[in-house]
Amino acid sequence: MGDTRVGFLIDTSRCIGCRSCQVACKQWNKLTVDETRNEGTFENPRDLTSQLYNRIRFVEGDDGKGGVKWSFFNERCLHCGEAGCMKVCPAPGALYRTHEGIVGYNAEKCISCKYCVSACPFNVPRYGGKEEKVSKCHLCLDRVQGGIAPACAKACPTETLKFGRRDDLVAKAKAAKKELYGENDLNGLGVVYALDAPPESYGLPKKPSIPMSIFLWKDVVKPLGILGFWGSIGAMLLHYVTVGPKKLEDENGTQGGDHGK
Amino acid sequence: MASRYVERFSAKERVLHWFVTIAFFILVFSGLGLYSRLFTGWFDLFGGGKGAILFHKIAGLLFFASSLLLFLSHRKEITTFDEDDRDWVTKRGGYLSREEEHFNSGKFNAGQKLFGIFIGAATVALGVSGVFIWAPTAFPRLIVQFSLLLHGLTFVLAVMFVIVHIYLATIGNPGTLEGMLYGHVRRIWARKHHPKWYREVGE
Ligand code: HEM
Ligand code: SF4
Ligand code: SF4
Ligand code: SF4
Repeated sequence: MGDTRVGFLIDTSRCIGCRSCQVACKQWNKLTVDETRNEGTFENPRDLTSQLYNRIRFVEGDDGKGGVKWSFFNERCLHCGEAGCMKVCPAPGALYRTHEGIVGYNAEKCISCKYCVSACPFNVPRYGGKEEKVSKCHLCLDRVQGGIAPACAKACPTETLKFGRRDDLVAKAKAAKKELYGENDLNGLGVVYALDAPPESYGLPKKPSIPMSIFLWKDVVKPLGILGFWGSIGAMLLHYVTVGPKKLEDENGTQGGDHGK
Repeated sequence: MASRYVERFSAKERVLHWFVTIAFFILVFSGLGLYSRLFTGWFDLFGGGKGAILFHKIAGLLFFASSLLLFLSHRKEITTFDEDDRDWVTKRGGYLSREEEHFNSGKFNAGQKLFGIFIGAATVALGVSGVFIWAPTAFPRLIVQFSLLLHGLTFVLAVMFVIVHIYLATIGNPGTLEGMLYGHVRRIWARKHHPKWYREVGE
């Protein structure tokens, strides 16, 4: 992946919360509107949906002068180097990694088991339509492979969303002494953040990892289970030829018959 | 007293046992592809992954209900252990040596009781975790993640125990299967394997 890997560098300090990225994504991907409710916050919608692949989280803080300080955070699939969603997906080809390091998906192959959302460290995939097929940010795979930048990055007026070769983006951000999130976690996230507050304040896990239960399920129980299956069959065969079955005495023989009873 | 046979399972018990068994195997085969991509080919039996999930859900409901009924219907016999059962456990049922061992077992020996209890517990674990996996977006993530682990672990253990069960109920103890197929077992079988039960019902 290394050399050809593309990604985003998202510098939260530049974001003004205009949500052009949300709109551009909807437009490019022909997504419909979601009905939302006013819940007394400017954040809208309140969560990713099958019709919303990225959105701005509005984090309200104290500005120290009795007023409100806004922080804006672009939430989306992070195209993890080690992707929990791909680890658990039972449908070949439903989730796949491209040569550019993008985690793409093919809804036609999705069987709607919804394992991927449980395995995603960031709770990203959503399911829509009558068939409840997977959907999420695909890093504008179609555009990127055609040589143009993703729709959201193109629409962003402040260069908060910078798209490019991942190595270059990371190098540049480091040269500018930015605090990076996701540079090495999970084999490096495809979307690296330069955060201006601790990750938890944006609702991000401090140190992202595959959820513990999912790790135990796929990396411990699964291989041991296959061993256990063949082990049980082997043990029974071995028992049969070594200790042997508990045979009944010959019914007509001296010991067994029920005449004497 | 001319009959060589003694009644062991009623038609109702036999039908229930085989119903549970069929549901169990539908669950295993439809679940294999979900368990690992090594077994994706098993989806074809059910017309693809979506079909396998549908079969798995239906068979899951049937298995849960029937297996629980099977457990409840022998709950008394299966959950009470006496001195003779303890003897069976300390000597591992005589399965580890070629020496003839004799145990004064009742209708079920201690190993069968433990298997019955395990399957009862596994049925509950699989059923409850199955509900969370059925509708993952309706429940807290931690619960769903843990359910996926518990479901996988219980599945593995259940398959391993069932392999042992099938062996012991067929070639490991000749004559045993007759009871579950036709309802009756040979008297010599009953006297050998379940003498305490045989004294109550057979003599
Ligand atoms: C091909 C598969 C199977 C065969 C040949 C088989 C055979 C038998 C036989 C012969 C008995 C009667 C034992 C006796 O007379 O003492 C029995 C009992 C029983 N079976 Fe199965 N069985 C099979 C699958 C299963 C499965 C899949 C389950 C549950 C998931 C199950 C649960 C039980 C239980 C709970 C009993 C009650 C006694 C005990 O605990 O052993 N069986 N089975
Ligand atoms: S963020 Fe979630 S959905 Fe995106 S690649 Fe990582 S695990 Fe998959
Ligand atoms: S919901 Fe679809 S994409 Fe997600 S794990 Fe299941 S089959 Fe794969
Ligand atoms: S990269 Fe494309 S799909 Fe992903 S959020 Fe941006 S516009 Fe949407």
